[in-house]
Amino acid sequence: MDGDWDEVARIPFPPPGIRALPTPVTCLAFDITQELLWTGNEYGRVTSFYGAKLQPYTSFKAHSSQDGGVLQILFNDKGVIALGARGVHMRNRRGLPLWSIRHDDMKELRCMSFTSKGTGEILVAGEQDQMLVIDTFKGEVTKQVSTEHKYKIMRRSSRNICAATPGGSVHIIDSINFQVLKTWNAHTAAINDMDAQHDFIVTCGYSLRQQGNYMPDPFVNVFDLKNMVSMSPIPFPAGAAYVRMHPRMSTTSIVMSQIGQMHVVDLMNPNTSNVRQANSLSYFSMVEIAPSGEAVVLADGDCFIHLWGSPSKIHFTEFGRPVETADAQSAVTRIEFDTWDTSRPLSSVGVPYYREVLLSAWPGNMVTEVGLPPVKIDPQVVATLQEREWGFYGKNTRQLRRNQVEDVRSSESPQKMLKHPKFLSEKARELAKSPAGTPAPEEVVPEFPF
Amino acid sequence: DDVFVSSSNAYDEAINHLGRELENGRLVRLLAKLGTINERPEYDGDPNWSETEHRYTLKLFRDYVFHQVDTQGNPVLDLGHIISCLNKLDAGTEEKIYLTSRDHQSTFLVTYRELKKQVQSAFGDLQKGNTKQ
Repeated sequence: MDGDWDEVARIPFPPPGIRALPTPVTCLAFDITQELLWTGNEYGRVTSFYGAKLQPYTSFKAHSSQDGGVLQILFNDKGVIALGARGVHMRNRRGLPLWSIRHDDMKELRCMSFTSKGTGEILVAGEQDQMLVIDTFKGEVTKQVSTEHKYKIMRRSSRNICAATPGGSVHIIDSINFQVLKTWNAHTAAINDMDAQHDFIVTCGYSLRQQGNYMPDPFVNVFDLKNMVSMSPIPFPAGAAYVRMHPRMSTTSIVMSQIGQMHVVDLMNPNTSNVRQANSLSYFSMVEIAPSGEAVVLADGDCFIHLWGSPSKIHFTEFGRPVETADAQSAVTRIEFDTWDTSRPLSSVGVPYYREVLLSAWPGNMVTEVGLPPVKIDPQVVATLQEREWGFYGKNTRQLRRNQVEDVRSSESPQKMLKHPKFLSEKARELAKSPAGTPAPEEVVPEFPF
Repeated sequence: DDVFVSSSNAYDEAINHLGRELENGRLVRLLAKLGTINERPEYDGDPNWSETEHRYTLKLFRDYVFHQVDTQGNPVLDLGHIISCLNKLDAGTEEKIYLTSRDHQSTFLVTYRELKKQVQSAFGDLQKGNTKQ
């Protein structure tokens, strides 16, 4: 960490409604390709913030409020994958949905991770006995894996998937066949935070003390994935709560306590550390580091987001692709449609250049009937209504759906329907049946041309 | 000679009028399409139109086009805006616009091309429902 690191921005996390009280952040993640920070709230809403000033960018609901908070966010080239307890949802970064999966076997999801197939496949798991494999391009569940273990946190290391169980141990899972390769008992009571990078897993956890309360362990546990052995823990007297590996310095990690004491430690040389203090009136609930390693974001219990970095050169990604924004309204000469002036033709606005079928193209195979007589209003129904200046109103007693199309033609006089021509003999027969003097129905001249 | 000039003038005028009204039918058809798909009560409870799903943007687009307001929150009735939005939707341009929900909680960045696709699929669904009956 450079000497000039400091808090560069602090923003309140947007509340769930206009007059609602703010709620804590449930999930933080830095985008991998754009200068965006993504957050989730406990109502399933995902909001992104742009740049070092954390300007609001896009915001959408990944799942309904009943399904609880956003638990984890992953990224690939196409967009953002958000995990809720009962579903997985993917959108592009501009907020348009790509796919959404709700599966019967998604009951208590907690975490997810990319697998051996790069960003094309994810494994989702949780406090349930099924893990699901999802193809992120097609947006479908491709495989289900039964497991007797429950998982809280998942991280992909260079070879395997590391999954933390609620009981304090870490399972190293093969990222191809999803079998548990090794179990490492990291903490005695629970794991609070875990990160994996390159060849190391680092964990922060709790142990049960004599008084019966849980205390953060005053060290960070380290596991060497290359040799599959645990290394000596890194001491952190203030009580290690959160830990992240530095994405570019492969043996450096950032450890933080709940009250905001940050240490930057080299795993190989734990005695030299760089200390910073983040200030908040409340405790810290989350920490995340940007893929460039040049920004760290913290969330606190007062619903603020703190962004740390060097003020002069903070950026989130190494080769940041520019963020897509709305196009400036193309400079058109303003046309005055004064009071909806009728003499001004609508064509003066002009259609942009196009090469495809216009949206206004109306399908040609639809039959429309124009010029039918108006629907007859049933006087009995009108009698039940009360008259007002602007019309009649009252309860709907008609036996029809709202706005149902009525067959005017047949209700007017069913005999008027077009009939196939008849032979003379048939006509004579009908004439005999019909009351004397009235012509056969089909000889009545239709009032309306058919 | 005079007859020739005046008949030419009449012809020019007819062409002129034709050119002025040429767009109207196209716009009416487009409006009819949008009108038939938006805010149907049949869609209440349809997950496709809920806030978490893709057709939500169509609702927001309707607001974007027809429910413009100024800084004081007064309605802005700008026919030029309406028609230029509709024209861009008709052609499905790559221009991106911000769509914001009424509670200011959701913001989307959408191209007209994406909106056009949404309208097409929604209208296609209506047509399918038509043949079923």
